Amino acid sequence: MKKHIANHIYHVEILPPKQDSEKLDADLQAFAEKYQRVLDSGYCICLTDNAMGHLSFQGTEMIQELGLSVKPDQVMIHLNTFHTKANLDDILQACIGQGIRDLLVVTGDGSDRLPKLEPADIGASGVESVTSVELLRYIGQTYPGAFNLGVAFNPYEPEDHEFAKLDRKIAAGAMFVITQPVIARNAVVDKLLATCPLPVALEAWMSKKLHLLSQAVGYEIPESTVFDPIETLRLLHRTYPQCGMYLSLLGFKTQYHLITDTWVS
Amino acid sequence: MRIVVCIKQVPATNDASIDPETKRIVREGVKAILNPFDTYAVEEGVLLRERFGGEVVVLSMGPPKAEAVLREAVSQGADRAILLSHRAFGGSDTWATSYALACAIRKLGGADLVICGKQAVDGDTAQVGPGIAAHLGWPQATHVMQVRSATPETLVAVRMHEDGYDVCELTLPAVITVVKDINSPRVPTLRGRLASQKMEIPVWTPEMIGADTAKIGLDGSPTRVVKTEPPPPRNKASRRITGSPDVCAAELLHELRTRSLV
Repeated sequence: MKKHIANHIYHVEILPPKQDSEKLDADLQAFAEKYQRVLDSGYCICLTDNAMGHLSFQGTEMIQELGLSVKPDQVMIHLNTFHTKANLDDILQACIGQGIRDLLVVTGDGSDRLPKLEPADIGASGVESVTSVELLRYIGQTYPGAFNLGVAFNPYEPEDHEFAKLDRKIAAGAMFVITQPVIARNAVVDKLLATCPLPVALEAWMSKKLHLLSQAVGYEIPESTVFDPIETLRLLHRTYPQCGMYLSLLGFKTQYHLITDTWVS
Repeated sequence: MRIVVCIKQVPATNDASIDPETKRIVREGVKAILNPFDTYAVEEGVLLRERFGGEVVVLSMGPPKAEAVLREAVSQGADRAILLSHRAFGGSDTWATSYALACAIRKLGGADLVICGKQAVDGDTAQVGPGIAAHLGWPQATHVMQVRSATPETLVAVRMHEDGYDVCELTLPAVITVVKDINSPRVPTLRGRLASQKMEIPVWTPEMIGADTAKIGLDGSPTRVVKTEPPPPRNKASRRITGSPDVCAAELLHELRTRSLV
């Protein structure tokens, strides 16, 4: 992550196609084009893991089945706790085989159709359910040195609770942090940057539909709110020059060409 | 071991409407999915094949678009799929449907085990699995929550009841219907999905399975829907418990005990 920040390498989130896609071939092609475009730009591709509990194909199998190439430090895989143990290890082994080192380890949203890791599956004790903390510990112990492990930080959660959770994640092996979407200077993010020893990337919300963030931030954002993602991205760079940027919901047709000159020191 | 899994395409919504004239579920314009209970049936078939070898054949009766759920089952791990589709099958009730499926199983050359979901979420009858067993003259176990063991000749099933479970041994071939507790269905892989897209799915007609046309479709269906109406609204009366956490917890516990819920 430090290298990404120093070299102005954006993290660009791409969602793999959903399992129930009725136009899978087109979705696969669109995915491959986005993947290649980010790769060619020198940015880091971030592949989600059943985001929002929607059943989707795994990033590692997309890479394998579509024959996509992996360049060092340019692919990050999200990994959550909604897997069978066998599936989890398959994904981790695939990452190693494909040369993927960066993992964003999260608890995840899950759904009725997704299995959930049990504490006993990964040798966790004293907990009722597996969270990102136990998953981090498992990966670190089972695959020592194989991965750079990142974790999420939510500045909209109760502050004490979130910082205590971050401490547990760091103790479990976290090496970098990516926040929930930030749209302006945020006091909790300021505190994070002042106290956290790890490199931090801010999630930049690239959709114009800011109201979709209402649930995440915990207050109602009117649907009529005018929001300029590119200007906000510039603002975030000016406000937090020490941070990396994780771009979610980036419009590849309308926005991608605009981000090239947004990261100015 | 040849395992046949019978599956059904159902409306994706819980708000399916009823045609006032025909008293049938309106399926047009509603997204269709694999009956959720059937995903557990497919998974159990695949798990048994992984343990004992053999093949898993998925079978469905429905319009041509039902092919989609067969492909989904193949992407989940089934080896091949067959669709029973013909105008003559239209309007079949559970008895006529189970007759047609039984005919198809005979046409396949039989099976060691037939697995169905415990019921389809549209009709909620839970009759097709037992109907297949009746038509084939095979033993059956419904609401199976675990296949404890199996040999080429027998299968030991744990059946779920409202107040517990029982264990029964079936002589194979047999039919079982399964509940959600039996397994955790795997999520299809992209490779499986792509393979299933390319797979050719044979379509069988009544003639091809040797079905007596008097026993399928509306004519072969003894069920007559006289009247349908939505269930009465549930009593949503609620009571707010206030006070300190200890008081609230004690009051809630008392309430639950009074209602024999704990």
